[in-house]
Amino acid sequence: MLSKNILSDFPALSRTIKGNRIVYLDSAASTLKPKPVIDKLSKFYLENYANVHRAVHTLASESTQMLEFSRKNFANFLNSSEHEIIFTSGTTMSINLIVESLVRSKMLNENDIVLTTLVEHHANFVPWVRLSKLHGFRVEFVEPSLRFGTLAIDDFLKKDINPKVVAITGHSNVTGQLIDIEKIRNIFPNSILIVDGAQLIPHQRIDVKSLDIDFLCFSVHKMLGPSGIGVLYGKSQYLETLEPFLYGGEMIDKVSVEDVTFNVLPYKFEAGTPNIGGIVGANYALEYLNNIGYDEVKKHILDLTKYAIEKFRNIENVEVYGPLDESHCGILSFNINGIHPHDVAHLLDEKFGVAIRSGHHCAQPLMNVLKSQSRLSQFPNSTCRASFYIYNTYEDINILIEGIKRIKEWFDV
Amino acid sequence: MYNELIMDYSKLKKYKGKIEDATKVEEGKNLSCGDEITLYLKIENERIVDAKFEGIGCAISQASANLMIENIINKSIDEVKILIDNVYKMTRGEEYDKSVLGLIEELKSIKDYPMRIKCFLLAWKTLELSFK
Ligand SMILES: Cc1ncc(COP(=O)(O)O)c(C=O)c1O
Repeated sequence: MLSKNILSDFPALSRTIKGNRIVYLDSAASTLKPKPVIDKLSKFYLENYANVHRAVHTLASESTQMLEFSRKNFANFLNSSEHEIIFTSGTTMSINLIVESLVRSKMLNENDIVLTTLVEHHANFVPWVRLSKLHGFRVEFVEPSLRFGTLAIDDFLKKDINPKVVAITGHSNVTGQLIDIEKIRNIFPNSILIVDGAQLIPHQRIDVKSLDIDFLCFSVHKMLGPSGIGVLYGKSQYLETLEPFLYGGEMIDKVSVEDVTFNVLPYKFEAGTPNIGGIVGANYALEYLNNIGYDEVKKHILDLTKYAIEKFRNIENVEVYGPLDESHCGILSFNINGIHPHDVAHLLDEKFGVAIRSGHHCAQPLMNVLKSQSRLSQFPNSTCRASFYIYNTYEDINILIEGIKRIKEWFDV
Repeated sequence: MYNELIMDYSKLKKYKGKIEDATKVEEGKNLSCGDEITLYLKIENERIVDAKFEGIGCAISQASANLMIENIINKSIDEVKILIDNVYKMTRGEEYDKSVLGLIEELKSIKDYPMRIKCFLLAWKTLELSFK
């Protein structure tokens, strides 16, 4: 358990619904927000807010400083330079930005190969598939060969290709598997390596330099901060040459009827008024996590996962997806034979106050993989997913398990 | 939501399966969970004389599909359209004609579950499509 008691920072957790206290197990979708973060953000909006980078007055200066301070902290956090930190609206926007900019800059051409996997979130799947149709590059997919959607390093070695781009998640939002980025980098030393860090960064510090990552994307709403804000790290060597994806104000240098020149990094990729409060709030969230300590955050989540996997193993007629070893972190996808995930999720909420997610989790290709391996009498094209974060406890997992057992009795399976 | 009627109707086998000589076959999808339904209708003289469905789904979607089929067999297409209209009104929390809904009304609290309306409406949307 965490050494600091932080539960009182999350007022939603002391709410009860139909007599049950809320057990929030849906942090992989989005985390709750700590009161200290909200209080600081509220103070910022009330006392310091103005548009940034344009005006010379006091409020504009304060806002600009606070925004740039956030950039600096994220740069430190990733061991990058400030001009390599671009604020976007989230992981989805970041990945779309990269793909579109690569294509516009002719860095991805006909017959180039992009390698991705079948465990990706649609955000790191659909842009590649769709833009390959429009621009003629080729997409190859690594298929997970280990239990229920678990990737093995050998699965990447089987691909005897030389991809221009390798785009991979650092942590699956369905199987909970942590991917060894260092090993992937070693297999593809010359490819542009893009990491979807949406699930990874909320519990892990990443050193983009030592791992030699070219692009890293994540969303702040999954790490205690506001929604609608994300970070895109890009290696400056690429950002310098890439064509921007969004054109407009702030990203330009000289504009005339003949042509335009672009602003310096990172502003070249930040057209328009940014999500100022989001960027400032992102920094407050990062500070909050740093205060707890990233190592403690990770250990807490791994402890809970291990505990939950052990508990799940003792329930009959339940299939747990992903790996069963320590590469399984924070996210537990499962199905109960004969009960649809929507029914499980609905009943857990209604009868036990437990919030989990059900559905295909924006990972339809992976659902097909799970279906092909499933021993359920009928695989419902979706799963239940319980996900853990800093504010969860062993007791939360006990309540989840008790709920599942009761639901099984009701459905008689 | 999960009352006895819904649990019973979700397990009903009577209306599940294929109609070989169906005059209309329509497919529907629920994008949030990937559930699919195939609806078979046998229509003669503007009247539904038989109906069945295939596909797996949650208890709400299965109960809804079974109740729907029970309520459209031996009805004219015009009557069914009125039924659909009232079902939609019920899910939106609007005034509806109770007399045409029968047991379907047992699912009226679905209007309070925005995430489950898609499950409830899967069969109905598919039925509506088949008249387009
Ligand atoms: C692995 C992964 N990638 C991408 C995303 C998309 O993030 P967002 O919706 O914040 O753009 C998510 C979150 O849903 C995710 O889990």
